[in-house]
Amino acid sequence: MKKILEVKDLCKTYVVNKRQNNVLRNVNFTIADGEMVAVMGSSGSGKSTLLYSVSGMDNITAGEVSFCGKNITLLSQKELAGLRLDEMGFIFQQMYMLKNLTVLDNIILPACQSKKNTASRKEKIQSGQDLMRKLGIIDIADNDINEVSGGQLQRACICRSMINRPSMIFADEPTGALNRATSDEVMDELTKINNEGTAIMLVTHDVKVAAKCTRILYLVDGNIEGEYTLDKYTSETGLRERERSLNNWLMEMGW
Amino acid sequence: MYLRILRKDLKRKRTMNLILLIFIILAATFIASSANNMVSVVTALDNFFEKAGVPDYWFAISGQKENKRFQNFAEENNYKATTQELIQILPEDVKINDKKFIYYNSLFLSQLKNSTKIFDKNDKEITKINDGEIYITSEIFHSSKNKFKIGDTIHINKNGKSKTFTLKGNTKDAMYGSAMMGMTRFMISQNDYNYFYAVKKTPFYSIAIYDDSDFLEKFNKLKLNTVFHADYNGIKNTRIVDMIVSAVMLIVSICLILISMVILRFTIHFTMNEEFREIGVMKAIGIKNQKIRGLYITKYFSIATVGGVIGLILSYPFGKMMILNCSQNIIIPNEGNYFLNIICAIAVVVFIVLFCYFCTRKVKKFSPIDAIRNGENGERYHRKGILHLSKSRVAPVPFMAFNDILSGIKRYMTMILIFTLGILLIIIPINTINTLRSDELLTWFNMAKCDHVVGEEQIFNFNNNNKDIVNTRLQKIRTYFNEKGIEADVFQEIMFTMHISYQDKTTSSLAFQGTGDITPDKYQYLDGSAPQNKDEVALTYFIADTIGADIGDLVSIKNGETTKEYIVTAIYQSMNNMGEGIRFHPDEPLDYRYASGGFGVQVTYHDQPDYEEMDRRKGMLKELLPNGRVYTAGGYVNSMIGNIAGSVLQDIKKLILIVVLCINILVTVLMVKSFITKEKGEIAMLKAIGFRNSSLVIWQMLRIGIVLLLSTLIAVLFSTPLSELSVTPIFKIMGAKNIKFAVVPLEVYVLYPSIMLAVTVFASMLAALRICKISAAETSNIE
Repeated sequence: MKKILEVKDLCKTYVVNKRQNNVLRNVNFTIADGEMVAVMGSSGSGKSTLLYSVSGMDNITAGEVSFCGKNITLLSQKELAGLRLDEMGFIFQQMYMLKNLTVLDNIILPACQSKKNTASRKEKIQSGQDLMRKLGIIDIADNDINEVSGGQLQRACICRSMINRPSMIFADEPTGALNRATSDEVMDELTKINNEGTAIMLVTHDVKVAAKCTRILYLVDGNIEGEYTLDKYTSETGLRERERSLNNWLMEMGW
Repeated sequence: MYLRILRKDLKRKRTMNLILLIFIILAATFIASSANNMVSVVTALDNFFEKAGVPDYWFAISGQKENKRFQNFAEENNYKATTQELIQILPEDVKINDKKFIYYNSLFLSQLKNSTKIFDKNDKEITKINDGEIYITSEIFHSSKNKFKIGDTIHINKNGKSKTFTLKGNTKDAMYGSAMMGMTRFMISQNDYNYFYAVKKTPFYSIAIYDDSDFLEKFNKLKLNTVFHADYNGIKNTRIVDMIVSAVMLIVSICLILISMVILRFTIHFTMNEEFREIGVMKAIGIKNQKIRGLYITKYFSIATVGGVIGLILSYPFGKMMILNCSQNIIIPNEGNYFLNIICAIAVVVFIVLFCYFCTRKVKKFSPIDAIRNGENGERYHRKGILHLSKSRVAPVPFMAFNDILSGIKRYMTMILIFTLGILLIIIPINTINTLRSDELLTWFNMAKCDHVVGEEQIFNFNNNNKDIVNTRLQKIRTYFNEKGIEADVFQEIMFTMHISYQDKTTSSLAFQGTGDITPDKYQYLDGSAPQNKDEVALTYFIADTIGADIGDLVSIKNGETTKEYIVTAIYQSMNNMGEGIRFHPDEPLDYRYASGGFGVQVTYHDQPDYEEMDRRKGMLKELLPNGRVYTAGGYVNSMIGNIAGSVLQDIKKLILIVVLCINILVTVLMVKSFITKEKGEIAMLKAIGFRNSSLVIWQMLRIGIVLLLSTLIAVLFSTPLSELSVTPIFKIMGAKNIKFAVVPLEVYVLYPSIMLAVTVFASMLAALRICKISAAETSNIE
């Protein structure tokens, strides 16, 4: 399968009060087209830092990150912004959206900003509405963002991340601020997207969430200590078994 | 514990606390200095006149016979009068550093004896002048025509007697210090004065009367032929420039205070809103409301005190800088007013603490969770977004900028108010200056509209050929143009001083008669119709009000030795001598022996030449009359009343522009910084989803640009009524109550708003560059 993300010897160091803090140490991994990879680990293990470093949102100290064949460490801020706009999708734990725009406007915002997306404004709106319909939130298209629930908002964030048909979606604890039922719904949408071919890398603490992924990277003190592979998740059946096996592996890893 | 929380807070919220501190410093500086300046300029002229000993009445007469008549009259009535003899010299008699002295009004040599007090540039009274030293008035000293500097040599040659003086300094002279007075004096020592005294021909007496009871009534009945006369208010009214400057400073001060109040309210409100989350946390862990309020009041009190003290210190140099232009000609009192600065600074601190006290009152009402939600309980009754990206064709960045403003107009209200006030602060003085420079101004000085005016010294003799002299000169110009194939009306205003009576009231007034190609209908009138025959006159509303006459009344006017009755047919306005004026029909045979002078020769071309042709004809006039100065209509009035719209107001205009631009820059930088602090999450998110730094900077710049354009629009809409409201009263004092402001659209609506826009948007760009430092990854760190 075609490699979409390739990380080699990635190091990230923060200096806090003159003390060097090595958050990521020689991290190596790859993500192929259509994969859904979860990054797990205890708090402070460097999960979010890894996600932001490989997606070009944060600078790295050493190493190499290739996205769709481009070494993003060599790209300028302008090129990185272009890459994030056209090739990557982002979902955050906090459902950040512009307060003065409606839900639909927030979703189509990256499409309107993209130069690569040459569709007309009408087509962009149509594609935003299609995504909302697909995720079951078309009713809130014209609502203000504070008029909708957290789950609806997170699904809207997924729509926004999908609007420019990215090669890969990065999600930082996408269900972290949601209740169980809503969390399941959001994960179902993400797995559907993944099954349609979009690669996903997500950070999570939740075994139920990670169990829906095809691969789990376990991070300890900035190192990938282990990797667990699962089959493609297609239906509810077998989810319990996936969770149990993942849980066992995590226990072995010291979770 | 309290101190530790405070110290942590000050450190952690450094940007917001710094913004608050800077705004408090600004507010304290503006309020303290402006309040001080307001008091100073309002009382300055009266204080100055009191210090100088300006008399209740002042008049000048020429000739021993008239002086004798007055002295007898004063003695009979027991009036306290001080008489000072002056030596009249001509500007041609004076050389400055061997160069020509450029001055077009009456000039006298004077000594300190029997004079009103004069002061040097440092407001110290001049009590002694050494031989060979000379002082000139500040008005002359600062005029750009001669470029005086201390130490210059001034050579005076009068009737064969000459002496070279060294310029010792400039004086603040209450009586002779304004251009509007139409005369100035050089102060020299008694010995030097005596040296020139021997050669003077006609004695010229300046008489000051210190009696405000029934002097004027009796004096008017004496019907003395005065060269000039004015009461205390009349002398005061010659200080138009100082009054306009003071009025402009007053408007500037009021605007600065308003701006400061708006800034303070915004900043405190903004920073207090930021505190709510922490207030909620403190409430949640059980800290009492009183303690929480105490903590914030202590914090705001500390910042306000530091800001107040710094602002107080800065208010002294800032106030002095602002008032510098006002204090060139008059003494601006500042002793004792420092106390006002302190009171204002304390008021700013009290205002902030009280505001904080009232804002934190909400603490009691809120549950911890309400406070954590920034004081909002989630209920909203109106939509936030006004526009829809999905329904618009605008690109996302300009759309976001528009939508942000329309969705949260309250948030931008501070900026709109400050920018609007700033633009008004520029537009109003510019409209005033342009009005004072316009050709229209000529019609407010007892003159008819014309294309060119030739100013030339004209001395009338006490004989009957004055009218012939005038007509010969007019004919010379007329013939010259006719020979060149140019049709033109050539005419001139001749000025008299006459006594006018209606029933039991009498007053003295300037009177005018047009000579040459002029008819009474060419002048402007407020009411009634132009005099149609020689027995009819028009009066200014000032003179009509003084004697209680109206249109249709029969007034009696004394011209020289003869008194005649005239019907008043029209009322008009004039700024000569603060509103004096009687207009005679050109056919009325006035006694030209009593003419006191003439305005410049006016020329109106029949073919309405364009700008280039006008310039060519100006050259032709100069060629014909090498000793004359050729002006446009507006230029002539300016030369006559002392370039009122010249250097002083131009300097003030520049100062206001600089102050307004500085305020705009500061407000923009601080507002943009506070917006960015508040919108950090949204900015990080936008960066994460692929917005470039440049797009986000443009987003911020556009918001400021749109706000400024909106403010410009509001300011432009309000500028004309506000100009009329604030400046018309000043013109009214000067004698013109019906003012049509001369608006130069390109300057007022394009040039200055463009400068403001460019500078403000540039400032917003510099402030918005901070966006580049916000990392997209910060979406995970934002609370």
